[in-house]
Amino acid sequence: MSEGEAYLDIVWRQFKKNRLAYFCLWPTLGLLLTAICAPLLASNVPLVFFDGRETIYPWFSSLFNPAESIDFVFNMALVSLAPWVAVAVTTNWWQRRRGVPGRRRAAAVFCEFLLLTVAAAGVFSFAAMRPLNRFSLRDFPTEEFESHGEKHGVYAVLPFGPIEQDLDSRFEGPGYRAADSRAVTKSNQHRTHWLGTYTAGEDVLARIIYGTRISMSVGIVAVGIYMAIGIVVGAVAGYFGGGPDMVISRVIEIVLLFPALFLILTVVALLGQNIFYIMAVIGITGWPGIARLIRGEVLKQRSLDYTLAAQALGASHRRILFRHILANSLGPALVSVPFGIASAIITEASLSLLGLGVREPAPSWGNLLHTANEDYHRWWLVVFPSIAIFITVTLFNLVGNGLRDAMDPRLRI
Amino acid sequence: MLSYILRRLLIMIPTLFGVTVVSFCVMQLAPGDPVLSQLNGASGQSTQTPDAYQLQKHDLHLDKPLVLNFRYFHDYSPEMAAAAHYLSLTSEEILAELPSLAERPDDPTNASRLRFLRGLQISEFTARLIDSERRENLSRIIPRATSVLLQDIGENGVRAGIELLQTTNDQKLKLGAINCLGRMVPEPFKYVYTLPATDAETPDIVAVWKLWWGKNQDKFPPLEKEAREWLAEKLADMAKSPANVDRGLTEITDGNDADSAPRFFAEKLLRDSSLAEKVAASAYLKNVFSKPLVTDLPLNAGPADIAEAESNWMEHERLYGSVYRPGLLSKLGYVVGDTQYAFMLKRLVTFDFGRSTIKTHDPVSKLIWEGFVVSAPLVFLSELLIYLVAVPLGILCGAFRGTKIDRGISLVLFLLYSIPPFVAAMLFLVYFCFGDYLTWFPMYGLHSQNADNLSWLAYLGDYLWHAFLPVVCLSLFSLAAIAMYSRSSILDVIGQDYIRTARAKGLSEPVVILKHGLRNAMIPILTLFSSFLPAMLGGSILIEVLFSIPGLGWLGFNSIEQKDFPTVMALLYIEAIVTLISFLITDLLYVVVDPRISFSGRGRSA
Repeated sequence: MSEGEAYLDIVWRQFKKNRLAYFCLWPTLGLLLTAICAPLLASNVPLVFFDGRETIYPWFSSLFNPAESIDFVFNMALVSLAPWVAVAVTTNWWQRRRGVPGRRRAAAVFCEFLLLTVAAAGVFSFAAMRPLNRFSLRDFPTEEFESHGEKHGVYAVLPFGPIEQDLDSRFEGPGYRAADSRAVTKSNQHRTHWLGTYTAGEDVLARIIYGTRISMSVGIVAVGIYMAIGIVVGAVAGYFGGGPDMVISRVIEIVLLFPALFLILTVVALLGQNIFYIMAVIGITGWPGIARLIRGEVLKQRSLDYTLAAQALGASHRRILFRHILANSLGPALVSVPFGIASAIITEASLSLLGLGVREPAPSWGNLLHTANEDYHRWWLVVFPSIAIFITVTLFNLVGNGLRDAMDPRLRI
Repeated sequence: MLSYILRRLLIMIPTLFGVTVVSFCVMQLAPGDPVLSQLNGASGQSTQTPDAYQLQKHDLHLDKPLVLNFRYFHDYSPEMAAAAHYLSLTSEEILAELPSLAERPDDPTNASRLRFLRGLQISEFTARLIDSERRENLSRIIPRATSVLLQDIGENGVRAGIELLQTTNDQKLKLGAINCLGRMVPEPFKYVYTLPATDAETPDIVAVWKLWWGKNQDKFPPLEKEAREWLAEKLADMAKSPANVDRGLTEITDGNDADSAPRFFAEKLLRDSSLAEKVAASAYLKNVFSKPLVTDLPLNAGPADIAEAESNWMEHERLYGSVYRPGLLSKLGYVVGDTQYAFMLKRLVTFDFGRSTIKTHDPVSKLIWEGFVVSAPLVFLSELLIYLVAVPLGILCGAFRGTKIDRGISLVLFLLYSIPPFVAAMLFLVYFCFGDYLTWFPMYGLHSQNADNLSWLAYLGDYLWHAFLPVVCLSLFSLAAIAMYSRSSILDVIGQDYIRTARAKGLSEPVVILKHGLRNAMIPILTLFSSFLPAMLGGSILIEVLFSIPGLGWLGFNSIEQKDFPTVMALLYIEAIVTLISFLITDLLYVVVDPRISFSGRGRSA
């Protein structure tokens, strides 16, 4: 195993040399953080609310009862952020004292985060474990406004929710403030809609922030699905050759023949517009590319001496394939992960743009574009989601470029 | 080389087969009833009778099993006995029988009948059977469901039906068996020729009418001489052309000799006469006696009717019985050949995609051709643009590698690579088309409204004006990809020894790169040409929808949205085939452009 570690260390060192890619890695992680922390950035539920008699904390309990199941997972990640920092600092300190190498420690910290999120999602998926949902029916901005100064709330950075409606300010341009033009009924209507409003007066900035969740989750889950399928199928084809290879190669060729977007559109239209179907369908149609890459690599590695040595030592097929060969042939497939995420994000946005993606009122970037396509006067519904998509795609592509260069032995110095 | 092409073509066969399997699976996911959507359009408002439904179902072969048909090996006699029982009873009689089924389900007769009724797949059957208030409804459903089952079984059950008819002595059961046969074979006898007529059908048709004539000849008065001459004249007229037949029919029916005319025509048909005369005569007889031989009976039919219908079915068995007793080999063939999948395969292979389910019911192939005519020039123009811009840019970057020019162009290319085409299209629409900012380009379509009146030059200009933005949007992504690709390709070539040799000879840098480097660098780029073509045909959905261009992508999106599945399947299939062919062309281009590559050996590495 120690050779494998050394290899990844080399890759990381090379990656850091590419300053542009290294610089882009942090905003990319920042996007993920934005997705997780979306309720901290934009929410119409106050973090702290003084309702005249007592002080309540409705924001925290609202985290456990979101409208969409995607939101629930991200909220659980948000809830486990604070414990994670504590756990991560402690284990990091402990491992550093024991002399565990840096890459190992980073992996441990990452795994802890995943574990905590999954644990939180598991525990709180039972309604009995959640904090009492006492405030879900209360409209705090209205309460605050109508109390004439008796009640006070402390809100998130942006005091608008992604599906909070305001029917009197539909399709207003950027910089619109409801209080400027009419009598208001909510305290947050004194605040500016920096990026304008949407169909039912929802704040576009809040929708873009929450849209990060949909894009990120579709990208990561879809790529996860097709990497898993592609690696296993490609490895089997390359390692066993002969009949399995013939069959799998034909299947790969067949799936590659169909125009991807059209096939995805068809299947999503047939199955129904659900974010999980979209993830699954992108995953299921995307694997042949990965499988082909892995198959080629495995074919190359199979004929090398170390495989022969492993065979001579009597290792089982499974051990040789997954322990020895696959560890050495994952490189090219890993490079395509960031590119894959970028293209999955584009695919999701295209589906929503065509009106066949995530259903309203879920705040997908593509949905904003879909609405803009009905009337191009609403330029802010084109420009801002476009910028969001462009930035996300560019970041992932740049990271992918950096990773490719770092893994390419010809460019190694 | 030739053997390589042959091998590739051979591999194409299983691949094509797989493509049809995938198309079939995708279509099986389609919600709703395909028969209804074919009959009523995608909106699905039912305006059709159950008979029309069954006929359409039969025409589309949707009464067959999906992939394997074992019906030819199945013995249908138990089903036929139960079905005959239920088709001989009125709904009141069925209602009277139901309580005993509910109370004594273990009785042998009751058990077999219950097994049959459960097989009818009536919803909530058990609940309806037990609940005495819902039984009346059930008793009316049972005969209808039995009929549908028999229609789906079709000719596979005829043998069992005939056997039942022969063996049973119970008049009621005989009646039921006759009705069963009538459901399975809606048209047991061939009375008229299918046009254009051939002599091959003559024996069957003559035999049927002979049977009828034998039973009925006494009913018609003998022929007068004048009537015979007049009818002969009419027959000669009708025999001249099929178009005269209808007029002849009305004239004879309205004429004085209508009573004795059937005798004349029957004699003509049964004796020596030309094919055209036989066609006209059979058409006349069928027109007058719409169902000459009784094969269907009402539930209150008497013994004489039953005996007559039975003898008619026996005649049917004598004429066509061999069809219902296929040999073992044909049975094995039917296992895979007589299925929904096999019929779809046949239609796909012959490029017969049927009709669209959208209101006008246009043939799918016509819709696709219309879309292709629009899309192909767009794709061609954007390919042209891509190669005219991308390759020089790539060469420029390669030639000036590491300089500011290279970095600048690479950065721009990278940004282009990251802009999704639909984002670019929407930004263009907002800023260059819509009118809030600039109105340089039109928003919709490929032609102005008055385009037909323009001179060809103005027409071309109008087309290019409309096509400019869509073509640019289509090209952006591939343009960046190919430019980056040709840059790295040129860089690879520049590192080669022969370039150093060329430089050492004292050639100038442009000559070195353009004359020595370019040709070799072009090999991988040129071969990309064919692989981008299908990708763009399939990938232009968004651009065509955004710019409202009625091409293939727009057609695909529209048919998905309106649930027009025949068109969707045809598009998937055709695009897969186009891609397959272009893969083949790509491989062959390699050989043509680069003589170093040959496929005569053990083949390429993976």
